[in-house]
Parts: sequence; structure tokens; C-alpha cells
Amino acid sequence: MRTLRMYFLLYGAALRGQTQYRGNFVMMMFAGLAYQGVGLAFIWVLVGRFGGIAGWTLGQVAFLYGIRLTAHGLVTVPCAQIFSVDQILREGDFDRYLVRPVNPLVQVLTGSLSLQVFSDLLGGLIALGAAMSTVRIDWSAGALAFLVLAIVGGAMVELAIVLAFASLSFRLLSVRSLILLSLTTMQNFGNYPIAVFPAALRFVFTFLFPLAFIAYLPSTVLLHRTGELSVSPVLAWGAPLVGVLLFAAAYRLWVRQSRHYASSGH
Amino acid sequence: MSAARRRITGAYECARIQTLIAFTYRTDYLFNLVGLLLQVYLLRVVWTSVYGHRVSVAGVTLPTQIAYATLGTLQYWLFNPWGFSMIPERVRTGKIGVDLVRPVPFLHQIVSSQIGLTVGLAPFALVALPFAVLLGRAAGPASTGAGAVYLLSLVFGYLLTILLASIVGMMSFWTTEVSGTFMMYRMVSQFFSGALVPLWFMPGWLADLTHVLPFQATTYSPLAIYLGRVHGGALVTTLAVQVLWIGLAWLALRLTWARALHRVVVQGG
Repeated sequence: MRTLRMYFLLYGAALRGQTQYRGNFVMMMFAGLAYQGVGLAFIWVLVGRFGGIAGWTLGQVAFLYGIRLTAHGLVTVPCAQIFSVDQILREGDFDRYLVRPVNPLVQVLTGSLSLQVFSDLLGGLIALGAAMSTVRIDWSAGALAFLVLAIVGGAMVELAIVLAFASLSFRLLSVRSLILLSLTTMQNFGNYPIAVFPAALRFVFTFLFPLAFIAYLPSTVLLHRTGELSVSPVLAWGAPLVGVLLFAAAYRLWVRQSRHYASSGH
Repeated sequence: MSAARRRITGAYECARIQTLIAFTYRTDYLFNLVGLLLQVYLLRVVWTSVYGHRVSVAGVTLPTQIAYATLGTLQYWLFNPWGFSMIPERVRTGKIGVDLVRPVPFLHQIVSSQIGLTVGLAPFALVALPFAVLLGRAAGPASTGAGAVYLLSLVFGYLLTILLASIVGMMSFWTTEVSGTFMMYRMVSQFFSGALVPLWFMPGWLADLTHVLPFQATTYSPLAIYLGRVHGGALVTTLAVQVLWIGLAWLALRLTWARALHRVVVQGG
């Protein structure tokens, strides 16, 4: 509880610091929306022109895209600092975090803030809202609850993947490229129904680099498409739970690896 | 040393330094390349999937489309590195003051530095090429003539890319913080350059809009020529349009620069 309170206090401070530059804040929001918008524009032209991809309509792909981007926003808004954790370790800032009475991970996450992250969340919600009005889903309370759980679970999967790579930085010191690569992979491949990929890649994206759990598997449940899965539908229904488990595992890895921290010496 | 010769040596030195900088960050670029290759592979899978059993859509066969996507992705990567204009950084840090007293005109410094960076990145693109061909699919040029004209058109496309990026970079003289503007420019120009979707698959109104914007002359034009989608009279028109945009962009850059110069206030030093 105290950790959470400290998180909000420190995050608020970082946010106040960044929003001092109002003009740039607005510009970065637009830029972030443009960045995500181009990805969606590509899918829109492509799927619009060809009428569908792997049997998914434009609205359904947009729904998948919306879930993925909203989950991504739920990761980047509170936790984007994890992407540059190696720099924090290399420059010895982590020393400071260790002697302060707050969880070091919380301090990493609230050390600074990039405003662009808010456009991830906003863009995701816009795409999701637009898609939800076009796809035919019976929005019962249960379905809505599953959607919310799926998005939170998807965010936890993404965060778990990034945190796992980030914890390597205690030994490797330079993992930025690796983290960026994992992010672009999730960003590029995560926007398509996994069914378009060959079997080997479907396996990789389900069990080794589990991006299928971020958006694809839960959206097959909501879109009544679990029939196309090559894995048990139980996995699709349980995607939110998988997110919690993966995150717990990644956090353990982070804590264990942090014991290998060797300060850069001051 | 004659003035002209000195300028050329100066520009060459600017280019050489950028080449060295590109090599200093080689690990980053190598990881970047892995991402690029994954992108090429993804595009192949996606295009194959949407084509399904169709042999040709809008007169374009699947192998031609995959070759377009593969080449386009590589070409775009080579022409548009992340920090694709050095102006904002020079302005923000005040290094612009030093740049201005150098014996090489500032505009020449930018253009040659940009070329230098591309030269530094070219080996990475060459390393990636065989993998890209393997993961994507490549097609030879439609004909020897198309191949030759492609190279010419590619040079034009490259020059236009640099000029447009420099014009946007000039904005930092007015607003100092341009990271947002730059990212927006990057996304808009990427889409309208045809690097993602070729013009022949765009809905009519979008294709019309793209045709009147300069960005398609950077990426789409050379690729369309290479794949033999443009020939005869249209070939000449395409090249002429490229040259026209280069001329206009150069004029716009000179004009902007003339105004920007008055905004420089060098503090201290």
C-alpha cells in the first residue's frame, strides 16, 4: 500500500515537471497519435482493399488493434521508464534508489516521464471505441468485464516481456536495443490475427514470446472466433490470468537479477 | 587552394565524420536491422495472406507486391535514419554558432553530413539485403533500362528526402523543441511516400492526394520504375516531377534558411 502511495506521489512530481512545456505536450500528443495512426492507416488501406485478412474483417482487425494499443498505453503511461533502465544502471543513478526507503523499481518508473505515452492510451481507446461500434458483439456485462480484464492482462503480458529483458541489464548493462526490438515486434506482429502466420511462428508467439496473449487470444473469445485457434480455447479464456502469472514471474526475475547489480562506482 | 576546392574538401570532411558516427553505433544499427528484417518478413506474410488465391490484384502480382514491400522497406530505412536531420540538435545545443563560422556554407554542411550518414549506413543495408531477399522476396528490375532509370530516380528520391527533412529541421530555429513536429512529419511522409502501401492499392481519393504531394517522389517513383509499372511517356513525366520537386524544395530551403539566419542569437562563448 505504501509502495503504491509513493508511486503516485513520485509520478505526480514527474508529471508536473513535464507538463511545464505546454506547447510541446500538445505536439507530442499529436505526434504520438500520428505514430499509431500510420500503423492503423496501413491496415485500413490493406484490409479495406482486400476485404479481409485471414477471415477477419476490417472492424475485427481494428478491434484487435484497439485492444493491443490500449494495453500498450496501460504499460507506457505508468511504466515507460523501464525502457531506459540500462541507462539508469550504467550512470549509477540506481545507487541513489537503493539507499532511499522506496521500492527501487518504483523509483526507476517515476524517475522521468515522456508525455508521448498518453497518446498511446488515447489512440488505443479511440481505435477500440470506433471498432466496438462496427463489430457485432453482444455487449453483456460479462463480455464487458472480460474486455476490461483482457486489456489489463494484455498490459501485464507486455510489461512482463519488457521487464524480463530489462532485468538482464543488471548483467549486460546495455539492453536498450533488445528492449526496443521486443517492443517493435509486439507493435508490428501483435496487430494481426496470429492465424496469418505459419505454425512455427504461431507456436513462438504463444509459448516463447507470448504476444498472442496481449490481444489476439482474448479477442478471439469476444469475436466468437476461438474455432480458428490451434491451441485450446481455455488459453484464450485464461489470457488475463496468464498475464498475472507472467508478470509475477518477470517481477521475481527482476528482483533476483537485481542482486547482481554492481555499481558503476562513484 | 581555390575556394571551390576548399568547399568540396570541407563538405567531404563533414560527410566523413557522419560516416564514422554511424559506425560508432554499430550494435544499435545491427539490432535495428533485425527489426527491419522482421518487418520485411511480416510484410511478406501479410501480403501473401491478403492475396490468398488471387493471382493479380489491380494488375499487380503477389511476387511484384512483395518485391515492392521488401525493397521499399530497405530503401526507406536507408534514407530515413532516426535522427534524420542534424539541425535541431545543433540549434538546441548552440553548436550552430560553430557551424556558422566554418568555411563551408551551412546548407552544404547539412546536405553532405546527411550523405555521409547514408554512406555509413549503406554497409548495414548491404548486409541486410540478402536476408531481406530471403525473408521477403526480390524481383530483378523489369528490364535493363528500367534498372538504369531506377538508379537515376533513386538518386533524385534521395536528394528530395534530404531536402524535405532539412526544411522541417529548419523549424527548430523558430520553436527550438521539434521532436513532436519531427515525429509527425516522419509518419505523414512515410505514409504518403508509398513506403507502406503503394499508390496502386490506395482508394482513389487517397491516391489522388498522394500524387499531388512531394513525398511519393521520394520512394514510390523509383520503386514503380524498377518494377516496370511506369514506362514510355509516363517515365519521363515521373522523372520530371521528381526534378521539379527537388528544385522547389531547394528554393524553399534557401528561403527558409535566409530567414532562419536572422533568428540566430549566439549566447556567450
